[in-house]
Parts: sequence; C-alpha cells; structure tokens
Amino acid sequence: MTDKPVLTLKDLSIEFPTPKGVVEAVKALDLTINPGVRVGFIGESGSGKTTTALAVMRMLANPGRIAGGEIMLGDTDMRALDEEGIRKARLSRVAYIPQGAMNSLNPVMRIEDQLWDAITAHEGTTDPAELKRRSDEALSSVGLPDHVGRLYPHELSGGMKQRVCIALGVILTPELIIADEPTSALDVVTQRQVMHTLQEVQKKIGSGLILIGHDMGLMAQSVDELAVLKNGVLVEHGTVKQIIEAPKHPYTQDLISSVPLVGGDSFLDPSGKTPSNRAGAEPLMEFRDVTKRYGQVTAVHPMSFQLDGEVPKIISIVGQSGSGKSTMGSLMLGFNPPTEGQVLFEGQDISKMSAAQSLEFRKNVQAVFQDPYGCFNPFYRVDHALKFPFKQFGLAKSEAHTQQAMEEACDAVGLDPSLILRRYPHQLSGGQRQRLIVARALMLSPKLLIADEPVSMVDASLRATILKNIYDLKDRYGISILYITHDLATAYHVSDYVMVLYHGRVVEAGPPKEVIGDPHHPYTRLLIDSIPWPDLNRDWGTPEEADRAIHMLDTGQVGTESIFRGDVPGFSLKVA
Amino acid sequence: MGRIPRSYLINRLITLLLTIWIAATLIWIIPRLSPVDPADIMLGRMAAGAGSVANADEMLAQLRASFGLDQPLIVQYFKYLGNILTFDFGLSTASFPTEVSSLIMRALPWTLGLMILSLIITFVIGNLLGALMVWEHSPKLAKVAIPAAMVFTSIPPILSGLLLMWIFAAKLQWFPLTGAYGLTVEPGWTWDFVQSVIWHGTLPAVSIVIVTFGFWALGMRGLMITVQGEDYVTLAKAKGLKNRYILYRYMIRNAILPQITAFALKIGLLIAGQVLVERIFAYNGMGKLLYDAILDQDFPVIQGISYVIILMTALSVFLVDLIYPFIDPRIKHEGS
Repeated sequence: MTDKPVLTLKDLSIEFPTPKGVVEAVKALDLTINPGVRVGFIGESGSGKTTTALAVMRMLANPGRIAGGEIMLGDTDMRALDEEGIRKARLSRVAYIPQGAMNSLNPVMRIEDQLWDAITAHEGTTDPAELKRRSDEALSSVGLPDHVGRLYPHELSGGMKQRVCIALGVILTPELIIADEPTSALDVVTQRQVMHTLQEVQKKIGSGLILIGHDMGLMAQSVDELAVLKNGVLVEHGTVKQIIEAPKHPYTQDLISSVPLVGGDSFLDPSGKTPSNRAGAEPLMEFRDVTKRYGQVTAVHPMSFQLDGEVPKIISIVGQSGSGKSTMGSLMLGFNPPTEGQVLFEGQDISKMSAAQSLEFRKNVQAVFQDPYGCFNPFYRVDHALKFPFKQFGLAKSEAHTQQAMEEACDAVGLDPSLILRRYPHQLSGGQRQRLIVARALMLSPKLLIADEPVSMVDASLRATILKNIYDLKDRYGISILYITHDLATAYHVSDYVMVLYHGRVVEAGPPKEVIGDPHHPYTRLLIDSIPWPDLNRDWGTPEEADRAIHMLDTGQVGTESIFRGDVPGFSLKVA
Repeated sequence: MGRIPRSYLINRLITLLLTIWIAATLIWIIPRLSPVDPADIMLGRMAAGAGSVANADEMLAQLRASFGLDQPLIVQYFKYLGNILTFDFGLSTASFPTEVSSLIMRALPWTLGLMILSLIITFVIGNLLGALMVWEHSPKLAKVAIPAAMVFTSIPPILSGLLLMWIFAAKLQWFPLTGAYGLTVEPGWTWDFVQSVIWHGTLPAVSIVIVTFGFWALGMRGLMITVQGEDYVTLAKAKGLKNRYILYRYMIRNAILPQITAFALKIGLLIAGQVLVERIFAYNGMGKLLYDAILDQDFPVIQGISYVIILMTALSVFLVDLIYPFIDPRIKHEGS
C-alpha cells in the first residue's frame, strides 16, 4: 500500500447562488485522506459535510457549484474530468453510500439486478454466470445470503438494505468510500452490526472511508480521524483520540457533551414541585390482558398495566425496530384495536367510546411522532397547526386568547413566537418543527402524551433540548408521558419506569437506575452494549458476539423469563 | 409474484360482476325516471312524417308491447338482466326495427381500431415527452418545444380536427375528407381495404393524439419530478450508470406505474369515442352512434352504449388489478 493520499481537497469552496445572494456552503476546506484511513465528517445539518462529499462525487445538486479549489482523487483531478470521465470514476473509484438507505434501492428491480447493472455500466460484463458470481460474493462479504439477490427491496429490513448498499459500494473495489449517515435510520443493535460490516469490508479492500454523521459516540467507535465542520468551515481536524480527549474548539466540546450517557450528570433540571393534573378513581391508562396480532405475527404478547396518573410519570418503552413498542403506542392512541383484551382511558374502553367521549379522548391524549417533517401540512403556515386543534376542541375563547395560548406554548418550548408562528414548515429546521409539535400538544393541556421516538430524527445537539421540553410537560404541567424509544441513554435520564420489549414481550422492567444502569436481562445488556459512546477505551464488541446473543435469545436458551426490578408508585405491570 | 392465487381471482371476479350488475341496474332505472315514453316519441315521429296517424291508440299499445313496456316493472327488469347477458338491448327506436346490438356491433370495431390505436400512440408519446420535460439531460430543444406543443392540448378537438381537414384534406388533398373507408372498396380482409382504412383513419387519429397527449405528458411530468428526487435515483447516479439507462430503468419505470391505472380507466371511456372527432370526420364509430342516439332520444341505443362502456371499464380495471403485482413487486395479490 502506498502512502499517496486517496483524496486531497485543497482550498475547496462550494457556493449556492440563491435569489437572496450567494450562500457559501463550504469555505476553503483543506483535507487529505490516506489509503485505509477512516475519516469522520461531523457537524450538524447544514454544516457542509454532505455537500463536500457530493462535490467529490461531482454530484452537487443545482444550483450548487464548486467555486474554487482542488479535488484530487489519487492523481485524478476530479474538476478536470468530462461527464463520461466523472461517470466512470463514480463507484469504480469513489463509492457513495447515501443517507436514507431505506429508499436507496429501485423498488421495481431485484437486488442482484441493481448490483449487475453497476458492473455492466463500468466493465461491460454481461455474462450472467460472471455477474451472478460477483453479486453473490459481494452480498456474502456483507453477511447476506445468496437468495437475497433474488428479492425486491421491500422484502428486506432496513439493516439488510443498508448492507446491500455497502455491498454495492465495494463491488468494484473503489479507492474511497463515502458513507453518508449510513445508520441514522437503524436501531442501535442493527447500527452496530452494519458499522462492523462497513469497517470489515473497508479494511479488506484497503480503501479510504469518509463517514458522515452527527453522533460523536458513533464516530468514536468507528473512525481514525475526525474532521469537525461548522457552517462550512473545518474547525478542527485530528485523530479521533486527540479530538475526543482534548477537543480544542468549543463547538467540538459541545458535540461531545451533547451525547447523553447512561449514568453521569443529567441534562434535566427537575423543578421539584411536580403538579398533579387530575384526581380520579380510575387509572389514566390501562391495558387489560392486551394482545395484538397481525396475521400470524404476535406484535404484543398478553400484557396488563395500569398508569394511575395521579402523580405524573414518564414511562419508557424501549426496544429495537419490530419489538412492538410502536404498536403499543398506536394501541394507546386507539388507532388500532387490540386483538384481545381492552385498552382503557380513565376507565373507558377506547374502542367503545361514544362520539363525544372519543373527542374528549383525542384532546386528552396527545402524540408526538418521529418525523417532524411529515407532521405539518406544507400548505399552511405553522400557526395553523397550533390554532386548528385548539379551536376544534372548543378551547379558544377569542382570537386574542388563541394567540396568547400559542405564544405561551412557544415560550414553554423555548421558541420565539414572533419569529416562528408566521412561517411555513419548510422554513423551519427539524428541531424547531419538533418543538412546535410539543407546543401544539401542550396547548390542549392533555392528560397523557404518547411520544414515539420524538428525537431520533433531529440533530444530536438538539436532542437534549427537545427532551427537556418533553420532560417539562411532566415536571411543570403535570402531564403523564409514554416515551417510546430505542435510545436507552435518554430513557435512563427522563423516565420514572422503563419497560424493555423484545418481540412483543416485556423482558425487563423497573426503575431506570436498575434496568439500564445495571441490566440483568441479556437482551437489555445487548441493547446497552450496542450504544456507541464517545469513549475510546470502550470495547464496542464484535458482531459475532451480538449475533450469538440474538441467537441465544431467539432460540430461548436465555432470557425466557421476564425480570422485574422494582416498582414505582402509581404504575403496575403484569405479563402473562 | 408468481401465479395469481385462486381466492384473489374469485374475489376480483365477484367485484367485477357486482360492479357490472349495479351499473346495469342504474342505466335501466334512469331512463324510467324520465317522463319520456319511447313509444310516444316514435308515434310522434310518424305523425310528423305522415301528417296524422290512424288508430293511434292501437299503434301505441303495439309499440309498447314490442318494447315490453306493457309488462310489470319487475318483469321488465329481470328480462332486461337476462337480455344484457346476451348483449340483447332490444330495438332501436330511431332506426326501428333494427336491433341495438347490431348497430353497436357495426360501430364498435371502427371505434376500437381508431381509439385504441390513438390511445396507445398518445400514451407512448405523452409519457415520453412528459419524462423529457423533467429529465436533466434532455436536449435543450425538447425543454422549449414540448411545453410549446402543449398549446395544442388546449385547442378543442373540434377546432383542431377542422384545421387538419382544411390543411391536409381540402388544401393538400393528402387524405380524404370524411368516412372510414373509400366508397369504391369492398369491406373485407383485402390489402385495398386495409390501405383505405389506414388512409381514412390517419387524420382523425392525429387529431385525437395532438389534443390528448398533453394529459399524459402533464401527469408524467408531475410523477417524474417526484421520482427525480428519490434516493434511488441519486444512488443510480452515484453508481455511475449511464444517463439513458437511469432514465428508462430507474425513472420512467417507476413514474409510469400510476399512469397505467389511468390508462385502464381511459380504455372504457374511449369506447364512447371522441364524439366530436367522429362527428366531424363522419367516421361511423360509437361516438357518432351515441351522438345520433342522443339527438333522436333513442334510449335503447344509449343504454346499450352505456353498458358497453361500463363493461369495458370494469374489465380493464379488473385486468390491471391482475397484472399490477407483476409490474410493481410491492403490490401483492391479496391472499398470496
């Protein structure tokens, strides 16, 4: 292996001309990447990390343009290539694994066809036997069996699709792989497996790797060097050890401290005088022997719980994708009836409510969902989303009253109402939108809030703020919350009680200090081991260990018993 | 994928039959709600022709009997249901006593030939042009010329038809003015006849194509804009695939899916034809038949044509339901 860099960026500047003037997305960036080295590009949305990567691919979206500087891929000046030259360099010399691998594969083509067309486009090979051999080899290098090639994308899980994208990335053994947040849509267990796969194949072909992301923990476990970007400027660059142990730039320090840890200081600051929102004999939310099946699959195994809600509580439901946690959320919201058993709100079976009761229930039980982009109608200004339910539920006394309520709600989540309310959704960041959704829920003074992965789609640096907003709903407004997440570190900090779900069963439950701080069930341990932390001395484990753990759980060799780790007043749980 | 499960097929067939039954019932009920009595109209027509009609009451009763109108409604209904199964729609009132089915059978092949051909041409041209409007590597000319050509879509077919006739038939005399085939050729599977049909069909077909391709082009343009932003198109570029290949296999292949459903719905409607186009070109198809039937208040013919339209729409939707899982692997036949 030579020491000649695979990528040299010299004084690279990228501009986006807009009607309001030219936006400099990347400013005078200098960076070299050596063969076999993994470099992390870290920074929040809009910091220029993806833009830089796309410039290397010569795939900048219009009207973006490279304003100056050099992009050298080995000895090739990428800026001097013609269109055909750029096409040939893509994938065969520099591969791009895009963000959002969920939709990165053509839905109407079989997986192997999408590997073959890449080979054919670059090498002209059309021999079916040769193509089949190459695609099988690529799939097995990322741990996927041959038959996956015959499937269509929708038949694969998120983790499998991401592996297919990695297989595609290495199929022509490029000099450089650019992976743009390859695991942001995956849960922690799958994330760890996919990152291991990526590292393994990258080592095997000896290419350079650029890993784009915003999670300092993941970077610490995955890369050799870190490049910290802010507003298009490279603010810090060094080995991951240098940067994590002695960050120089305040922004880097912020990024590191924004990662919530299990244990350590909480980012919350409880008021100490949590009000109660209600007094009543009936429990706020109750599951009576609830089971949910979809066809042959049992999403939720028989389960009973009672949340009395007299003193507000945050109950966390944690688990990977497919664990049944979101199904529980939709059962509680009444979007989905249970197959057996009853879901009751204040003693009323929610599937048997009258129209008036149902309306009252909708007001009292609010939701915050994962995707802050999909929750607003792009057609209206955001104040419409706040105003409409407020008036619909008959809470508005007058226009002035509505306005006041909106302003108070915005203040409560730390948004300036005069800057935010008259805007359209596309003019706000993901974090701002998610806080507005919390504000919207708050305006209706609900008794219960179902928060389903409320922070998994926002920048790491904003997660703490939004969780603080949600925590305040309990702490200052007396609202009980069911917090559904795959992120155990945040559950550790915000919740009063944690249930760990695996394949629709509660495997471990109790107060967070016990369940997450000192897990007893092998599945809870697996989840916690999978969390990437910005700690270089921590062993992130091997994929074999994870596979073995999952295998043992699935075959019932371990962990068949639910483990209860203690109670909190006002909540009781029983599983069959 | 694979074979169509039997339970799904039976399910779809039941839906198909139900749709046809409900629609057939509606087109039976609606004329009966109208105060117009077909026998009255015919008698009126005779009176207008001859000045007066002797023993009018007897004639009326006779006519009513020949349409079965003297029987109780429920009997009429079940007879009607039985009759439409054999495509027997009774007698035309305007061209009494010709059977409606023979009128339709005479007109249907002309319309099917003209319309299906022009629909297919329009579908291909419209979608391709719509795709080219969006594709970033389209020739510059295409981006200017296609939107300009869309102006034709806003011209009423009656006008563009007349324009075409005036230029190509009257002035240049390249094509005949009217008719479906020449007066001198004998209908049959002879080269002369086929040639004459093509020659006569060209202008009406072109007229239909230029006024309707915009529908497909605009729809396709919207779908292509969505597909263009999909992650799989970005990845296809990052894979270094050739532009044309990306256009066909990644973009158009996905964008065309909703258009295929629209195509199936159009097939049924086109049986009624471009009424005005057929009228202008004196093309003896279903459109002209329908037009004349409406003018003459010839209910049995209107009913028969409506039934054929319903049948064709229901059948083409049924077929799309069956083939869709083969063109979009994400859609499954229920029960498989």
